[in-house]
Amino acid sequence: MSKPAAMPELERAQTWLLSVTTDPAGVSAGIRHAASLGVGVLEASELERLVTPGPRLTALERVAIYHEGYFARLVECLLDDYPAVAHLLGADAFERLAREYITATPSRSPSLNAYGRAMPDFLRARSEPWSAFAAELAELEWALVESIHSEAPSPLAPAALSAVRADDWPHVRFAPSPALRLLAFRYPVNPFYQAFRSGAEPVLPPPEPSHVAVHREGMTLFRHDLTPLAARLLTTLTRGTPLGAALATLERDSSPSELALVQSHLSDWFGTWLSAGFFTALTLSP
Amino acid sequence: MAARVETPRRTPAPRFGLPNLGVGVGLRTTHYEHLLSEWPEVAWLEVLSDNYLHTRGRPLEILDRLAERYPLAMHGVSLNIGSTDPLDLEYVRELRALRERIGARWVSDHLCFTGVSGRNTHDLLPLPLTEEALRHVVRRVKAVADVLGERLVLENPSTYLEFAGSALPEWEFLTAVAVEADAGILLDLNNVIVSAKNHGFDPETYLRALPLERVVQMHVAGHTDHGTHAIDTHIGPVPDAVWSLYDRARELGADASVLLEWDAEIPAFEVVHRDALRAEARVARAAGF
Repeated sequence: MSKPAAMPELERAQTWLLSVTTDPAGVSAGIRHAASLGVGVLEASELERLVTPGPRLTALERVAIYHEGYFARLVECLLDDYPAVAHLLGADAFERLAREYITATPSRSPSLNAYGRAMPDFLRARSEPWSAFAAELAELEWALVESIHSEAPSPLAPAALSAVRADDWPHVRFAPSPALRLLAFRYPVNPFYQAFRSGAEPVLPPPEPSHVAVHREGMTLFRHDLTPLAARLLTTLTRGTPLGAALATLERDSSPSELALVQSHLSDWFGTWLSAGFFTALTLSP
Repeated sequence: MAARVETPRRTPAPRFGLPNLGVGVGLRTTHYEHLLSEWPEVAWLEVLSDNYLHTRGRPLEILDRLAERYPLAMHGVSLNIGSTDPLDLEYVRELRALRERIGARWVSDHLCFTGVSGRNTHDLLPLPLTEEALRHVVRRVKAVADVLGERLVLENPSTYLEFAGSALPEWEFLTAVAVEADAGILLDLNNVIVSAKNHGFDPETYLRALPLERVVQMHVAGHTDHGTHAIDTHIGPVPDAVWSLYDRARELGADASVLLEWDAEIPAFEVVHRDALRAEARVARAAGF
């Protein structure tokens, strides 16, 4: 057994242990990488100067328990947030991806609720054949997480709608629910997600633009597919644009056939959005 | 004729000014639906504090509803009480706000550090048990209590390594922190069993050294024994070794709230609750009922 090192000061000991147990290359490499921290341990063979062996484990094996636990815990957290991405990639590839994410994105928060937030961008920056779709799928899954953690106030009351005078409608602004997320995709993300949730084995789909609204009402999360026109109007309204101006913008940017579609579906769209609780209040713009 | 003296009904003594809530269960998301629809009888629930911070949505809505029906206590993993980083007082203020919102009876965390240099490993990392660390932790426990507005309750963690430079056994370190910083103790009996296996000490030595009058809560749980070492996995029913240590803790005077933690392959709520209630049955049996 090597000669015990003098106990390093507390901060140095903590920095060393964190550095070694979070090193993506493993504990032995972590010990070498942490040599400059000045705890008197330069190689794994010198570890017993700092960490005692246990009754049945070496010092290295004892440190390795923490190393394994660190990555396993955060992989599990990401798996909770991104089960559909994990299905798309397969268990092993997802774990490799998650470990890269964990190394690139160490947690700096006391809560893990938002730990996976950067995953869509992390996937978008990659160049595998699946990464563009996986990034959009992650965006949908993260929108679901955000909706869970956002307030979902009561939907706009019918009385508030019936109180609006006919000539005031163009000036109405709708307040979107904080739990509402509108997403525009290059791939059919929601059908893939729905198939995954139904227990099917969906595979990487070819590109096909799609739009989805994610919302929460009480304990339940909802995903609503939107047509491109409905998505355009809803997006404009949720930015606080008065109804009259939003419809004028849609009219200006639409072809005659699209306009016909708007006219025939407008009432249905609003019926769905209002009953789903997308809006929680309305105000009249000056 | 001597006046007939009625023997007063024995009620559990409040520990540390805190009530004995009886036998409770750790609140887990997988049981939300059952709790909110069936409202089963359970003496109290322990809430994982960190899951209800940094959210304004569904978790808090559920907790508000549960708080109307069940006594709650808060248990966290991110206080980072042993770290050399500055105390995250904003986090402590968030804990206090949550405690006030849900009427939690006490707030507990672990005697460990979870990160340094601004990073959080979300793991319970062991401290070198030195005089320097003791002074450091005592100072911080007092500071946390000042912001919380009440005494902090500290749990003994499971540990898998020891620093060669440690000068105190963990039971002496925990006792010194609790006494000097006037903190309560959450005695995790499963952690004592796990650490005893990993470090080769007698679990009863640990119990006998603690100021048991400061124990306001006990944890029971399962672990995974790998032969060479044990890991605190909170899996399966509470093993006999943990229940035996529970019996011993009771005999030595640890008459405190009991909480069962089950975090891996979590079964139905009734299964978890039934296992927790074995604590009551053991107390009754020991009393000759």
